[in-house]
Amino acid sequence: MGLENAIEVSHLTKRFGNLTAVNDLTFSVKKGEIFGFLGPNGAGKTTTIRMLTGLTKPTFGSAVIEGFDIEKQIVKAKGQIGVVPEVSNIYDEMNAWDNLIFAAQLYGVPKNERDQRAKGLLERFALYDRRHDRVGTFSKGMKRRVTIAMALIHNPPLLFLDEPTTGLDVQSARVIRALIKELNENGTTIFMTTHYIEEAGQFCQRVAIINQGKIVAIDSPERLEASLEEQPTIEVAFEAGENIKSKLQTLSGVVSVSDVGDKFRVAVENVSEAVPLMADFARKNSLKIICINTLKPSLEDAFVRLTGLNLEVMTREKEAKSRGASTG
Amino acid sequence: MPVLGSDFRKNLNSAFYIAKKDAKVYYFKAPNFTYALLLPISLFLAFSLTGTVNLSGALSGLTALAVLFGTTSIEAVAVVLEKQTGTFERLLAAPISFFTLVFGKALAGVFFGLILAAGMVVPLMLLSGTGIANPVLFFVAVMFSSLTFSSLGVLVSAYAKWVPEAQMLDNFLRFPMAFLSGIFFPLTAIPAQLQFIPRLLPLTYSVEALNISVSELGSAGIYLVDILAMSLFSVILLALATIILRRKTT
Repeated sequence: MGLENAIEVSHLTKRFGNLTAVNDLTFSVKKGEIFGFLGPNGAGKTTTIRMLTGLTKPTFGSAVIEGFDIEKQIVKAKGQIGVVPEVSNIYDEMNAWDNLIFAAQLYGVPKNERDQRAKGLLERFALYDRRHDRVGTFSKGMKRRVTIAMALIHNPPLLFLDEPTTGLDVQSARVIRALIKELNENGTTIFMTTHYIEEAGQFCQRVAIINQGKIVAIDSPERLEASLEEQPTIEVAFEAGENIKSKLQTLSGVVSVSDVGDKFRVAVENVSEAVPLMADFARKNSLKIICINTLKPSLEDAFVRLTGLNLEVMTREKEAKSRGASTG
Repeated sequence: MPVLGSDFRKNLNSAFYIAKKDAKVYYFKAPNFTYALLLPISLFLAFSLTGTVNLSGALSGLTALAVLFGTTSIEAVAVVLEKQTGTFERLLAAPISFFTLVFGKALAGVFFGLILAAGMVVPLMLLSGTGIANPVLFFVAVMFSSLTFSSLGVLVSAYAKWVPEAQMLDNFLRFPMAFLSGIFFPLTAIPAQLQFIPRLLPLTYSVEALNISVSELGSAGIYLVDILAMSLFSVILLALATIILRRKTT
């Protein structure tokens, strides 16, 4: 185990009867990194997190968390991590303060530091004024914040976040995203699963795309995007004009043209020459350009290509599941 | 062995915090006290009216029943409820051993059992004008009774998936035990070839130890055997609960 790795996974496998939920995963997460785990429902993301956090026993393979083997030194490994599960697991009957103090006691935070840490976290999550209220009366976003605060009470060097912003209101999601960034800047390693691809692209230094229990790609979002090597394309919109599409098709350097609403999606041979080409075309045809964009393959495109899944359907399923969990 | 010592202390502290949390979340609620005190009294009164019980055994019998019904009722559903709400995973994710978790759960029942016993004994003593011959022995007997029945509750809770399943299993164990442990009729009334059955039930040892401490009729040796028997039951029940929970959750 190199000192630079917070997580080192080797051939990790989990079988439930005949079903292989996680199949021979091998990867590592560097200290101080935000590592994203992307995949559709049932891909094995949560099972992987459960194995790494000691909640599920692997069928085969091993993992080392902050230097501790999850099989032989699981109690020590658990002391190094904070876990935020997909569904907030806090005691509704207790108030926010007591929930945090209980977490501090369970993780062995010294008695003289508990109050100070709980106060700091509740203030940071804008919940200090509600500290004496039963968390059963809190909104879903507030419960999520309490859950994250409880996971941070012992200052863990490694934080596992399972779908941290799924189903949250905009304000709560923004608070949590800002916190993830801040924690990482302060050196906390973050292992997160999310089905919001743009969230992963925005935060993660590296992502692993998992499908049917196997990692199909692992790299930085930028490299995954670049790996698609799609035809360079631009999107352009003009003020009203006639036969624009057919005129565009005749231009040299243009491969194909398609309509997308009021815009034209133009596949070109060389993207760097596309903008002068369009400006020249507009001038010659007395047209006014309203907008022009270069279209690059996104992480979402890479995800769809690698998993062969419809992202919209996946997002709908996930959010329906999250609503079900919060009401059930 | 300073490392072992600090680990032991840490585990004991964690068990205590789990017990304290359980007491707050599950146990210390008015309906739980009412149920645990009224059910034994109702049973006892019903059997008193038929003339099959001796009221002189009320103090120890009612205390044992209150502790049995009180601790097992809550304990049997506490883990099931935590599994359903997801908070049990919070405990599993914490840096504590499985046994610490299970022991912490049982410890909450011990606190509850002690309070229930006081709630039963003090009014009875005031009403009847009787006393406890040896309060220290009585306290120790209540403590071990609470631990044993609480451990039984944890085992039921570890096994059951749903609250109704836990309650059914709980009653399946409690009611036969209540009638076969010498509270409502003497053990000598049981046919000779079936005399071994009460000796397999922890409630028998609880009632016997409480009887000795209340009346001081019986030898110190028998009292000691009762306490040892309850300790053995607790260890076996907690070990089984730990094994079942470990298997079910991993």
